[in-house]
Amino acid sequence: MNVPRFQTVARSTVFSRLDFRAKLAIFLTLTVVGAGWSDPRHASALLAGVGVACVGVGIPWPYLRLMLRVMAPFGLLMLFTHGFFNKEHVARLVGVEANGLTPLVTLPEAWWLIGGAQMTVEGVWYGTGVFCRSLMLLLLVPLCVFTTHPDRLVLGLVRLRVPYKIVFVFSSSLRFFPLIFDEIRAVMETQRLRGYALEEMGALQRVRVYARIAVPVILGAMFKAQQIEVVLQSKAFSGSPARTYLHDARLRPSDWWAIAASAVVCGAGVWAAVRLGFGRFGAD
Amino acid sequence: MSDAPLVTLEKVSYFYPRAVEPALRDVDLVIPRGQILALVGPTGAGKTTLCLTLNGVVPQFHGGRFFGAVRVGGDDTVEQPIHRLAARVGMVFQDPDTQLVSASVENEVAFALENLGLPAAEIRARVKSALAAVRLAEFAHKHPHDLSGGQQQRLAFAAALALRPDLIVLDEPVSQLDPRSASELFALVAETNRSHGVAFVITGHAAAELAETAHRVVVLLGGRIVADGRPDEIYADAGLLARANLRPPEVTSVFAHLAKRGVCAAGVAPVRLGDAIRALAGLPRARPYAPPEPDFAVNGLPILALRNVEHVYPDGTAALRGVGLDLFRGDYALIIGQNGAGKSTLLKHLLNLLRPTAGEVLIDGAPLARQSVAELARRIGYVPQNPDRQIFNPTVEAEVGFSLVPLRLPPKESARRIDAALRALKLEAHRRVHPFALSKGDRARVVIAAVLVMEPEVLVFDEPTTGQDEAGSRAILDLTRELHAAGRTIVVVTHHLHLMPGYARRAIVMGGGRVLLDAPLREAYHALEVLESTHLAPTQAVALARAAHADSRALTPEELADSFDRPPEGLLVMPGGKEGAA
Repeated sequence: MNVPRFQTVARSTVFSRLDFRAKLAIFLTLTVVGAGWSDPRHASALLAGVGVACVGVGIPWPYLRLMLRVMAPFGLLMLFTHGFFNKEHVARLVGVEANGLTPLVTLPEAWWLIGGAQMTVEGVWYGTGVFCRSLMLLLLVPLCVFTTHPDRLVLGLVRLRVPYKIVFVFSSSLRFFPLIFDEIRAVMETQRLRGYALEEMGALQRVRVYARIAVPVILGAMFKAQQIEVVLQSKAFSGSPARTYLHDARLRPSDWWAIAASAVVCGAGVWAAVRLGFGRFGAD
Repeated sequence: MSDAPLVTLEKVSYFYPRAVEPALRDVDLVIPRGQILALVGPTGAGKTTLCLTLNGVVPQFHGGRFFGAVRVGGDDTVEQPIHRLAARVGMVFQDPDTQLVSASVENEVAFALENLGLPAAEIRARVKSALAAVRLAEFAHKHPHDLSGGQQQRLAFAAALALRPDLIVLDEPVSQLDPRSASELFALVAETNRSHGVAFVITGHAAAELAETAHRVVVLLGGRIVADGRPDEIYADAGLLARANLRPPEVTSVFAHLAKRGVCAAGVAPVRLGDAIRALAGLPRARPYAPPEPDFAVNGLPILALRNVEHVYPDGTAALRGVGLDLFRGDYALIIGQNGAGKSTLLKHLLNLLRPTAGEVLIDGAPLARQSVAELARRIGYVPQNPDRQIFNPTVEAEVGFSLVPLRLPPKESARRIDAALRALKLEAHRRVHPFALSKGDRARVVIAAVLVMEPEVLVFDEPTTGQDEAGSRAILDLTRELHAAGRTIVVVTHHLHLMPGYARRAIVMGGGRVLLDAPLREAYHALEVLESTHLAPTQAVALARAAHADSRALTPEELADSFDRPPEGLLVMPGGKEGAA
């Protein structure tokens, strides 16, 4: 059966076998440490590490490629905005005057409004750091979520005392969204089977066709949501936290080690950033 | 065990919110413990609504106006919260896609038990025994969506069984399953009933399976119970069946035809295949029945051809393996095979939705891949199983005309085509109605009209009779026959083999991604070993014909009845094998 489902990784690795709470500790550590590292060399090293980890645990390359594609315009925007406009802040970080930054590109004076605007090397460099941090944070989500079986994920969050109703809504959306995407795909396929060559249409025509797709997709989603609700009720679901679980979620020694190591790294990272300026842009 | 009835419905009437007509009217019903009850009736009769009253979803979840009382094991289903009733009433729904909510087989079975707060050790024990009962123990750690359709329904059954309920309700549980998977599920019902004493309420249109399994049949019509009796009583009542749009099991039809021809006495006919085969012993010996096959109208080049087509999905599943097939103008071809045999993949290749991994697909001798899906749609019309995915417009007329927009036809020509399509599908009266205001059967007709309006040469129907009652199924198949008679090439994919004699002329039997047999319908239906190899069971008429005479090639109850001679005057044979006076 070719039914869509939320992306999961089948490969069993040391990381994927960790409890979700241990992964969450790693997630938080990298987020905190990464947030403090504005230097693009440090940020890119962290990004490379997370990227390698993603590949290592088996996140499919097409998914990573999709993320890069989605993030590429954001990256360009970062380089552009920081390169051209973030002069005061960047100059302060590197300890020079705004006009002391190194010009990379200068727009011709004759250009209306933007003539004479200057893109700086330091600004572009800083923008690179921001992009690397953003992408790293984004990659942490699949790294931690995709490598966790959805049922284990629920259990981990419940053990962290997240209310069961919220956890269930989260885990249900993991299941429901792929169904909606499948519905959209099927409806668009249907349009093509009704003679609508979407690939040959202009933007306006496409918008018109997509607008029509909304009707069956919304109706289909509402119908499916109601069906799922009936099914859940029939399976004694009440959202009550007073429920039991098939599997236990005890932290194993490897999980404790990961949590402890995360705490140490987090503390050391924050200390080094605050006291030594480690990873700060323009610190050297 | 208590003698008190398990389920009692007293004068139950129910209106859905904003509905003018009730979905149920004055329903009185008592179900004893351990009974298997089949709830039958046409589409819209109120079967699902009645099922949902048993676990309180109606009216507690849906709202609306509810009258009367429903008690399960003494609990009033309006007063008890639904999640408490779930411990007494297990539910299995039609669609495996939406009823499986967990990410592993074992967690799916455990989900309701966890919600009930059972101790983990108890949950583990019940999960183990339920999965063993449905023969899915080896799949405990798989994702439910990696199972076949039949296995998914068995999993839903296991989840209900693990609750150790007094009653399990199965609402159209086999409508999306191939015949073998359907038989397995019904066998499971019978086995569970025998071993655990669980009562069942089963709805559906699978007359043969229901007659084999049920102790009692209740007929619903317009929300009312119009008949209640043993399967042999209900299925022998031709008037009732006609009124309620029901089809009797084929073996019952055979004996009805025999009674009409004076071969056996009229009255209670067998409803189970085994009983019917035994009853044959009392009939005169059948003659071999093998009418000459009508000629295929094969004209020149095939309109569609597959040459050594292979298809391997990205996950490595080889769905088609060296498929070679010709479809000629004027063909009416039936494609059959178990779930996963490669039928859907084959259809997608005909529509250019999938490209072969190896080999090629040709249309009129030219590679089909050269045409876009949209271009091809003007030549090959596709009618999907779920009509609702094809509906985008606020009126039936606009929906049908929607397909013509890309063609940019002159307004007069568009109007002519729309009128013709609406007329052909008998939808003229609904021209200004919103498609979603129509019944599912009518929505299916809207979608067919929307395909027909493009005047394609080939029409592909994917499971057109799923979820349709007898009248709805016949209406759609009659239309395919009319289109075929008008020169269209028809391809139908279906599990409902018993409906296709009289329509399809040729059957393509698929199994394991290969074409196992491509033969005239009669030959294919009697190729028992080939059918067995792809887990298809012969229709009851075919099985009974072969039991009546090894050389019989009868396809329908009428043909089989024709192969018996009337006994000497004054002597009629009772279906049970005894002789009686005329």
